[in-house]
Amino acid sequence: MHRAWFAARLVGGMLSVLLFTGQSFSWGDEPPGLPKVVHPNGDVPSAKQIALGKQLYFDPRLSRDNTISCASCHDPKKGFSNGETFATGVRNQVGGRNSPTVINTAFQRFQFWDGRAGTLEEQALGPIQNPIEMDMTLEEVVKRLNGIPGYRQQFQDVFGTDVNSEGIAKAIAAYERTVLSGNAPYDQFQAGDKSALSESAQRGMKLFFGRANCSACHAGQNFTDNGFHNIGIGMDAKEPDPGRVAISKLGGDTGAFKTPTLREIARSGPYMHDGSLKTLSDVVAHYNRGGIANPWLDEEMFEMKLTELEQADLVKFLEEGLSSSTYPNHTPPELPQ
Amino acid sequence: MKALKVLALTLAVGAVANIGRADDKANPGPQIRTIVRNLDNPSGIAIQPETGHIFVSEHRGVLRLSPQTEEGKKGLARAFEVNRYPTDIYGKGPMYDVGPLGVAFLDVEHIIVADGSRKDAEELVRVYKVGTTSAEKPAKEDSAVYTLGPITAGDTSAKGEGNFYGIAITNNAIHITSNGDDTKGWVLRSQLKDGKPGELEGFIATKQDVQTDAPCGITVSSSGDLVVGQMGEVNVAGDSLLLIYDAKTGKLKKSYETGLSDITGMAYSPATGKLYATDFSWAATENGGLFELTISGDKCEARKVCELDKPTAIVFDDKGNALITAFGTAEEGSKTKPGHIVRVPKKLL
Ligand code: HEC
Ligand code: HEC
Repeated sequence: MHRAWFAARLVGGMLSVLLFTGQSFSWGDEPPGLPKVVHPNGDVPSAKQIALGKQLYFDPRLSRDNTISCASCHDPKKGFSNGETFATGVRNQVGGRNSPTVINTAFQRFQFWDGRAGTLEEQALGPIQNPIEMDMTLEEVVKRLNGIPGYRQQFQDVFGTDVNSEGIAKAIAAYERTVLSGNAPYDQFQAGDKSALSESAQRGMKLFFGRANCSACHAGQNFTDNGFHNIGIGMDAKEPDPGRVAISKLGGDTGAFKTPTLREIARSGPYMHDGSLKTLSDVVAHYNRGGIANPWLDEEMFEMKLTELEQADLVKFLEEGLSSSTYPNHTPPELPQ
Repeated sequence: MKALKVLALTLAVGAVANIGRADDKANPGPQIRTIVRNLDNPSGIAIQPETGHIFVSEHRGVLRLSPQTEEGKKGLARAFEVNRYPTDIYGKGPMYDVGPLGVAFLDVEHIIVADGSRKDAEELVRVYKVGTTSAEKPAKEDSAVYTLGPITAGDTSAKGEGNFYGIAITNNAIHITSNGDDTKGWVLRSQLKDGKPGELEGFIATKQDVQTDAPCGITVSSSGDLVVGQMGEVNVAGDSLLLIYDAKTGKLKKSYETGLSDITGMAYSPATGKLYATDFSWAATENGGLFELTISGDKCEARKVCELDKPTAIVFDDKGNALITAFGTAEEGSKTKPGHIVRVPKKLL
């Protein structure tokens, strides 16, 4: 939508901006509590395209040494993250950032901790070519997949062409848009089932949207404002990760990272862009202290003086309230030969 | 009633900022002009009824701009009506020194100031008495006839509200937008009784309705609804919303995506009834400007009228010309402040 907007401004034309709902198409699979998934250009992908994307997502043959797939770092068993502080790619190379979850990325305005990609299509080819992640060139991966008759056939079926990089991106992104989590106890509680949350989780919810100030940033159905904030994480390191400022060049974005979703958060530790906080109790303690002081610390960060019980209630809300019984517990599909 | 109106004032002013118009020397026609310069982060603008004097809130205080009475002097005479506010800083880089943020007239003698010069939970709305000619000496910030607020930490806001900005007045109440507490995004209200403002209270928690922060620009539609410009995140482009609220009940009637980034000011043209918004466009200020917003069905269209350098507030004179405050960009080595007022004539809107 942004792109459309800026393009329209460039030509100086009048632009009609559609409402979020006005742009969505009946996809039908969104669990209660989530907005409708919006597909690029309104192209609702076919079941075949999604199945192809799922295979690509789980296929280590997209990496140089056939060891790493998207799922290696975004594993359904680990909240679509990988349980490690930093991601490990081919030849055991370790990167500098924690794997974010893929859950509900369909709703994000920006991808990556610093928001350097917009759509999932834009994002998908990045890791394949990243030398410390999957370390392929697009040419190589296209060639390799065209050598697998099962893939070639499916690309013909879905896109009417042999394997190409655009199709890879489209298929993977279409699959990712099915990795959704909603209908959590929080949603059921909101919909009127007052027994959906324990007393402790209810107290935690009240804090989350009130005195603990969490909803200042973790707002809306996906628990993110889609913005960037410096909450102090890593700012005490020798050379702090600059975060968003590297992309936006706005000084105020120094040390700012994208607000992540909190759905299924109990499954995807360790937390934060540098994986520095191991548990949700650690996270809550960080906020309770008012973060880590630095000149760019967000105004919404301040010491809160929450009691032990209040902190425990907040953790309870995150764990209990935002973990869904309809978690997308995807298992690896059979891969084409 | 004095006949001096803003239109007359602008005849006296100098410099021209010609934005996007072919220069026709013989007959330049109506032009977009910078009518006042050297303001320090101006963020509010109002026109005094009867006199037509322009009042501006900026970092240092509240200024009156009126026609020169001394012979031989050009431009507008300027005098502080209220000053000696504390200073607050807005933003983490760029950072702006701010003071009183918004202004509006309750009546010819009373000006409402939405103040942003303090910390959240300490901010105030002030109502000062002003004359119809320049004050001999500026009034002190704390010499208000009515002081409303603060909204301290409590049930309305867990941390206390602040950054009072936009002002909209209906027959019964003063409404103030605020963006200190991002869990609530209050539109505050002070009900008027016999012309006297009552206590400042939380009225509409916009964030809870639309999940987007920071109500800023606010105005009243011809049907009496509150029309609110939601700024959203400053470092996210294109996330500003246009919200329509029932002014009596505070119920959200409609929310529109605008595609604008950071709506700061909103106003209807008294001449055409069209709605206009200023977009500061924090993250990409080159995209900032004045926009006409048109609602049709579920859609809101934004048409760019002209580019502006960090516009902050808009008011119309009674002829339908728009006056807009803007922070501007400091020139290196310049001793004057970059803040200014731009006048967009009715014909170019
Ligand atoms: C070696 C581990 C690794 C592999 C393999 C990997 N990723 Fe990632 N992924 C990451 C890390 C680390 C980030 C965050 C990087 C950053 O923000 O700079 C990330 C970010 C993302 C994001 C953005 C999520 C968000 O919330 O911002 C998406 C989507 C994503 N990856 C999908 C994929 C897909 C699809 C593949 C396979 C084509 C893949 N990843 C392969 C580690 C990996
Ligand atoms: C000022 C905005 C802001 C506020 C307020 C805020 N968060 Fe966050 N939150 C963020 C950002 C930004 C990150 C990522 C920061 C990073 O990695 O550097 C984050 C990360 C997290 C994470 C880790 C997510 C992950 O996938 O690693 C959790 C859990 C979390 N926040 C919970 C909370 C809770 C609970 C509160 C209230 C006590 C809260 N947040 C308040 C902005 C905020």
